[in-house]
Amino acid sequence: MSPKRIIRLTVNGDRHEIAVGATETLNQVIRDGLRLTGTKRGCTSGSCGVCTVNDERGRAILSCITLAVECDGRAITTVEGVERDGKLHPLQQAFLELGAVQCGVCTPGLIMSAMGLLNTNPHPDQRAIDEALSGAICRCTGHIKVKKAVAHAIQQIAAKTAGAESNGQPA
Amino acid sequence: MASRPDFNAVGKNQPRLDGFAKLSGRSEFADDIHLPGMLRGRIVRAQIPHGRIVNIDTSAAARVPGVKSIVTADDKPNPIIGMYQPLLNHTVRFIGQEIAAVAATDDDAAFEAAALIRVEYEPLPGVLDLEKALLPDAPQLHAKAPGNLAWEANEVFDDPDAVFADSELIVDGAYSSNPSHNCYAEFHVCVADFSRADKLTVWSPTQSAVLFQKSLATAFGLTEGNVRMMTLNTGGAFTGRGMARPHHFIASLLSRKARRPVKLRSYSDEEFLMGRAGGRALYRFRTGVMRDGRIRALDADLLVDAGAYLETQMLFPRITAPFFHLLYKVDAIRYRARLVYTNNLPYEWHHGGGIAQMHFGWGQHLDQVARDLRMDPVEFHLKNAVEKGHITRKGATFASCGLKECIQKAAKRAGWKRKYGKLPPNKGIGIAIGAMASGGKGMYKHDTSAAFIKVGEDGTVSLLTGIPDMGQGSHTTMAIIAAEVLGIEPPDVTIIAGDTDVTPFDLGAFAQRGTFTTGNAVKAAAEDARSQLVKVAANRFDCKPGRVVFRARQVYPKGQPERAMPFKQLVYDTLHSREGRAVMGRGFYNSPKEMGSMAYSFGAQIAEVTVDPETGFVRVDRMIVAHDLGRAINPRVVEGQIDGQVFSGMSQVLYEEVLMDDGQPLNPSRLEYKLPRAFEVPEVEHILVETNDPFGPFGAKEVGEGPIVCTVPAIANAVAMALGEQIREMPISPWRVLRAVSRLQDLADDDEL
Repeated sequence: MSPKRIIRLTVNGDRHEIAVGATETLNQVIRDGLRLTGTKRGCTSGSCGVCTVNDERGRAILSCITLAVECDGRAITTVEGVERDGKLHPLQQAFLELGAVQCGVCTPGLIMSAMGLLNTNPHPDQRAIDEALSGAICRCTGHIKVKKAVAHAIQQIAAKTAGAESNGQPA
Repeated sequence: MASRPDFNAVGKNQPRLDGFAKLSGRSEFADDIHLPGMLRGRIVRAQIPHGRIVNIDTSAAARVPGVKSIVTADDKPNPIIGMYQPLLNHTVRFIGQEIAAVAATDDDAAFEAAALIRVEYEPLPGVLDLEKALLPDAPQLHAKAPGNLAWEANEVFDDPDAVFADSELIVDGAYSSNPSHNCYAEFHVCVADFSRADKLTVWSPTQSAVLFQKSLATAFGLTEGNVRMMTLNTGGAFTGRGMARPHHFIASLLSRKARRPVKLRSYSDEEFLMGRAGGRALYRFRTGVMRDGRIRALDADLLVDAGAYLETQMLFPRITAPFFHLLYKVDAIRYRARLVYTNNLPYEWHHGGGIAQMHFGWGQHLDQVARDLRMDPVEFHLKNAVEKGHITRKGATFASCGLKECIQKAAKRAGWKRKYGKLPPNKGIGIAIGAMASGGKGMYKHDTSAAFIKVGEDGTVSLLTGIPDMGQGSHTTMAIIAAEVLGIEPPDVTIIAGDTDVTPFDLGAFAQRGTFTTGNAVKAAAEDARSQLVKVAANRFDCKPGRVVFRARQVYPKGQPERAMPFKQLVYDTLHSREGRAVMGRGFYNSPKEMGSMAYSFGAQIAEVTVDPETGFVRVDRMIVAHDLGRAINPRVVEGQIDGQVFSGMSQVLYEEVLMDDGQPLNPSRLEYKLPRAFEVPEVEHILVETNDPFGPFGAKEVGEGPIVCTVPAIANAVAMALGEQIREMPISPWRVLRAVSRLQDLADDDEL
């Protein structure tokens, strides 16, 4: 077993010091170490999307092909960090109301992929939505209601932001 | 169609009750389970398709620090799994066969130890091709199966030869499908705790906790009650998770030996070695018709690669044979299905259970019959379609049937008459129809689901059910049914599920029995609870029990809502009385029919496609789905079920194929094994035909597998119209389209010369 190294990692605002091996992935740290099992473990080779989390710049990254040692000093948001005080984020709410959740294994990855899009592109068109979701495989929904939910949430957030701006309120 | 009753909860869009947990990362799947002292398992798999193991050397593996148990074929007792397959065998019959396994304190140690297990083989000649396996000089895989014939089923109704002779036109067609993979979002995984010799607890995704429980109990000499199945959430199943499979038994063996819990899951391409769906299959059809389009006789001859052992494919004849009776009024039928042993892994089924795959051929063949008759396929289907009250040659009766309505509504929505035969080059439109049973006997003498309802002092309701929710939304559906009976809201119902120590008997979520069978059981349990409350209410209101209405969390005498009392007050008063009655409802449902189902769903779908002759890529532009589901209990969930089947049907008919080379999958990952991505899926239009089945709960029938049976052939028929020629092998992948395009081009060039 290779010697371990201590990394400092912030997850959903909580700061951790964690001993990690050279081959350990961010997915293993999140799930096995911190027991945040909302982030799923799928193909472990970056092709199914269920392990998606957001980095400190809000971008969607695949935790199964990100080495833990690369994450020293970084801040990660997992699906557990999206909902606040028992209230779902508008994106999650849209998934719920429009029926975009079925078995639920790919759902956290889809949410974090869509969050990654929202964080980096507040006014995406359909093509950008499709692209953001294209790294995820959802066998149950066929992506059909997922696409609708993401588009709906983006519209709602944009309307709310526009409303807040016209009221002279900060977004 | 009768006018819609005024329901309390049924028919309203109810967001999934487990949606909050699933969206916020709180819902648990088997891979999320961490137990104190839990070990990680790793399986050693055969690397040759056929041979004998001369020696297994585990000495180096045993020396790896952290290794706690190793199991091989030398471990006794070595249980038989599935029908006939020994768990760890000295005879290797397929690549990927489980030979040995290790459990260690972490994955690294387990992987290292597994890699150090040395296996010496004596290779034997194998047979990987379905048709070659039937040749006289083929290697024989099982002493008890001469000619490698694993199973043969024959059925004859009336005198097919005579009726064919009477027919005015006979059409033949041969089609085939190839191995595929379910690509469940949740990979194969099992946590087993056999630390105590008298109690085995297993956490794993499943379609049927009780079937897993039974086979694990049999394998390890326990009673069912000593096996506790924890289903949790199941991350997709699609007919592939009905039976316990080798990894469930191996995790249990490793745990028993180490006296510690063990987690075993697949990694990466191992997923494609642990299970594949639908071995190669050949479908031959022959239909005799009259010039006016009336179908007289059908002949189906099906040949399926079962792989090295018979697993769920054994049910293929039983599942597919009725389909030649369900859609059309026919005079004579001949059916033959043969399952063949090869040195491929024991196959399971993909979404559609072999039926959708067979309909790739069957649906295209019927389109060909219509074309040969120079008849519009919509007219052809309408002419022959079954109706309410029809009794099939196998004795199935249709108490409700919306097949013709589905065909007509889909055709109207599509603008079929404007488009059929009139589309520009490379564009096509196609129709297919289908039917599906809603549960029913066939496996056991019974087809039972049971349910239990506990009404709390404060009016809250706990519903205990054994049906697993694999994503289909059954738990929410069951809450709606209970809420409808008790006049409360679905979120008032807490679902208790997934633990066989607690939940009542339920055969499981397969054969489209969930909404119909478990739904009827839940309805019966809720009615039992309500009958206990009705007595007190009738006394209070001084009315007949039959006049008490439960609605919107209120209880009142019929026609007098102003006298309403809250539901929870009634429950409270029922307990806080001299009788002191605690309200608990119990119910079960078992089909009264000896064989077959009480209810059948019907459907019609129309696909519009564009074929790119340069790349061979088929784009599905539009899907119109009409489905007679009896009643939509939760319409948005119904739409989701339909969308998922359109996706899966499109994926299977156009994309999915495990490419094989000498028994080795060549594309074993989600990168190389293609599924449609978000940008490739069409808009789906839903037409829900509610025929209000008299036996279904609130009129409901299945909607979980009927639609996909139509999707596959509808798309294939649309492609055939776009190309001017049928592609007779599934999937219709770009290279098969290009081959057809270039052949057609050559033919056109020849004509010009």
